[in-house]
Amino acid sequence: MGSRVEILNEGGFRSDGRRQYELREVTIDLSQQGQADGAAVITHGLTRVMVSVFGPREAKSRSQTIHDRANINVEVAISPFSAGERRKRSRGDKRILEMAATIKSTFEPVVQTTLYPRSQIDIFVQVLQQDGGLLQACINATTLALVNAGIPLLDFVCAVSGGVSSTSPMLDLTLLEENDLPNLTVAVMPKTGKSTLVTMETRLHVDRFEEIFKLVCSASQALHQEMKDAVRLRTMSLVTAMGTVQSNVGGDTMMDES
Amino acid sequence: MISLSKAEKSYIQAGILAQPPHRSDGRALHDFRTVALETGVAPLANGSARLTIGRSLRGGGGTEVLAATKLEVEDVKAGGVDGGRVVCSVTCSPAAYPHLSSGALEDLQYDMTTIVNQTLSHPSLHPSNLGIVKGQKSWLLNLDLIVLSDAGNVYDALFMAARAALWDTKVPRTRSIEYKAAAANRSTGGMEIDDASGLDTRQQPSIADFELHDFWDEGEPLEGREAWPVSVTLNLISPMYYLDASAQEEAATPLRLLLAFSFLPSGACLQGTRVLGIGELDAKTVKQGIEDGEKYAREVYTALNSKLKDEDVRRNQKASHRFARR
Amino acid sequence: MITFTSFPSTPAGEYDAVGHHHETDNEMEVDLDDDDLSSDGLRLTLPGDYLTSSQAFMRGHGTYVHEDQVVASVAGTVERVNKLITVRAIRTRYNPEVGDLVVGRITEVQPRRWKVDANSRQDAVLMLSSVNLPGGVQRRKLESDELQMRNFFEEGDLLVAEVQAFFSDGAMSLHTRSLKYGKLRNGQLVIIPPILVRRLKSHFITLPCGVDLILGLNGYIWVSRHIKASDQAGEEGFDAEAVYSNQNDDIDEPTRGAIARVANIIHVLAAHFVPLTDTILLEAYEWSVEQEEAHKGLFQEDIAEALVASLHSRS
Repeated sequence: MGSRVEILNEGGFRSDGRRQYELREVTIDLSQQGQADGAAVITHGLTRVMVSVFGPREAKSRSQTIHDRANINVEVAISPFSAGERRKRSRGDKRILEMAATIKSTFEPVVQTTLYPRSQIDIFVQVLQQDGGLLQACINATTLALVNAGIPLLDFVCAVSGGVSSTSPMLDLTLLEENDLPNLTVAVMPKTGKSTLVTMETRLHVDRFEEIFKLVCSASQALHQEMKDAVRLRTMSLVTAMGTVQSNVGGDTMMDES
Repeated sequence: MISLSKAEKSYIQAGILAQPPHRSDGRALHDFRTVALETGVAPLANGSARLTIGRSLRGGGGTEVLAATKLEVEDVKAGGVDGGRVVCSVTCSPAAYPHLSSGALEDLQYDMTTIVNQTLSHPSLHPSNLGIVKGQKSWLLNLDLIVLSDAGNVYDALFMAARAALWDTKVPRTRSIEYKAAAANRSTGGMEIDDASGLDTRQQPSIADFELHDFWDEGEPLEGREAWPVSVTLNLISPMYYLDASAQEEAATPLRLLLAFSFLPSGACLQGTRVLGIGELDAKTVKQGIEDGEKYAREVYTALNSKLKDEDVRRNQKASHRFARR
Repeated sequence: MITFTSFPSTPAGEYDAVGHHHETDNEMEVDLDDDDLSSDGLRLTLPGDYLTSSQAFMRGHGTYVHEDQVVASVAGTVERVNKLITVRAIRTRYNPEVGDLVVGRITEVQPRRWKVDANSRQDAVLMLSSVNLPGGVQRRKLESDELQMRNFFEEGDLLVAEVQAFFSDGAMSLHTRSLKYGKLRNGQLVIIPPILVRRLKSHFITLPCGVDLILGLNGYIWVSRHIKASDQAGEEGFDAEAVYSNQNDDIDEPTRGAIARVANIIHVLAAHFVPLTDTILLEAYEWSVEQEEAHKGLFQEDIAEALVASLHSRS
């Protein structure tokens, strides 16, 4: 099916009307979800992922505690109706476990786990819709949910996918493009430019790799800006809500300052 | 379930039994929390709905369920059922039950799946338009429900969301085509769904297949969609009972009676019932419960129906608006 | 009765990046000092933001040092006390300090100690030696006490306690060695974000509607029937044997109504992120009685908005 559709036409447009280096529309919802300590819903085009974070909290079982830092537990669930063809994956499905392990290893160097010895941080990922770039959406939503839960991070982690169509590199692939092109996903800490994840399951020429890698890294800076704006907006609205009424009652609430 | 102290439990129970009764959030015994509903939330499904009970508009709290249907073509000879079948399954997000181990979570979603599937896949509710080619092909309707958050009364939420998603489901229009044995080559055209069905044309004089109508809408609704049931859960603190328990109230209530009703022009039909919790119920309570339950279920049914019709209107407007903008 | 509504078209907290350009031009950081000031001059910061030089300042909570710079690790407000820079996260679990008053729930009974959930990074510990036992405050602990620990507190029980100290791994230990502390009855629990509970002179609040409140700094709020002053700890009407009782007193109908109303008000204020103080609670309660709405009406969003708006205008 995919091969019949032109990935990049002569006018430089992709099948969904984007340019080569154009990212899909991003929406971010940071409002509270259920009982989670922090949550985020992100959409990249038609891909939609919700992440709920619980913790740091008491570990559910003793065997999961680590004496000098918090244990990060990631569980991924993919809604059976999220893709074109229904597919129900059980919790023990290899693909799901692999994705959870990838997310965990992406965030382990970023979350300041040593501040919470013997605790547990649960990251529950729920995939609601898929149209390519699943891993990038999971990682970006996890970053936002962790920030929203007040869990200390060295930096944001921003992930973007990229691929190459014959010789033209492209960013933020849809499912259609992902199926046809060699592609990779890179997660970057924008401040230092260090990447905490690079995955590629297809073949790609080494020379091309460097090109696309650099491109994806710089795209993550643009995404970083979007994510920061969303968090800033949310934080600002909460701080403002707390401030307006607090100032009404005057100084007697600030007893602890004395 | 969440844990409560004995004092909290008896505070809630005493409130229900008080004269007049007092619930911990001030509701009357038979009041529901606000229910929010939206259909058509999953673009890749044939029908879908998102439903919350008691969720704050600013986000957070409440019970939240996603429901979606997907239709698949099944070969009757390879495991399918002539005339189609309905299969329901419930998954619980660990975020809905953050204190449960994964084993306990599996058990819970198994229980929910059993109750929902047994009720909704019953022959008495079977939609008549799930067959494609008699004796050959039929639709498998998968209804998947996801519990995203549980703040009490999850079963009523599941049944309401299921009804909404099934109401929203569109079955693609199909047309049977038959090929005589002589012409039965593999060249059946681009719209064919299944060309490797293992049919042996020598034993059969003709084979049958179908093609999809290219039509302006996504298909027709499920036949008999009025009949999909709604449930009410009666939370029993003998001799009283109340509806739509919060998570705390559930933890303080030993027994719950789940009743699922269908409402047809010919009258109400009890489609499923389950006693949740440990304990015993005398026949009189059950009888009275079913009688009253029907009344409350009818209220839920009526309110849900008018909301579903509003949703249809809203989405038609949205669609025509989008069309006009082009 | 059942009513259906729709979801808000743009939920609070939704950020829509429409209109932002997605081209990958490598724009440089904007100067953060201007647009990060909230309305009352607080400075907002995000994880990874540089705050200041680590040579001149010390790093506190919510920050770390990277290449001689103090860097924020959480999203929140920057606070400076002399040379100490901290960033206070807005939504986070409870960060205990010694002397804090907390409300907690027993999760586990272990040899000579209870584990207590107090909305913190780990369950708190309540040692058998840190509670008052029935039959005299200064009584020695007996071996029989160890065997009947569930008679004092069992799984699920709620208690009010004070943070006593910390273990090396950061877990807090609690004590209930005051007559004000101990098991909770005659009411219901409301959970709100801990940042909305400010440190007050007293965290035991009595509202004139016959309702007592205990504002746990961990965000657990206990709303209960008022105990008459003559029956309170230390007075002659105080029943020392009832300290570990699971039985509620008889609660009359108006009091039940008032407790439900106060609990709903707290839910509404928390949903609007309004910090709790006795003054605000009182104003809100008066407002809701003035409106003569059935208290369940507070869950309806327009009434909740009106309540919060009236609080804003009252100052």
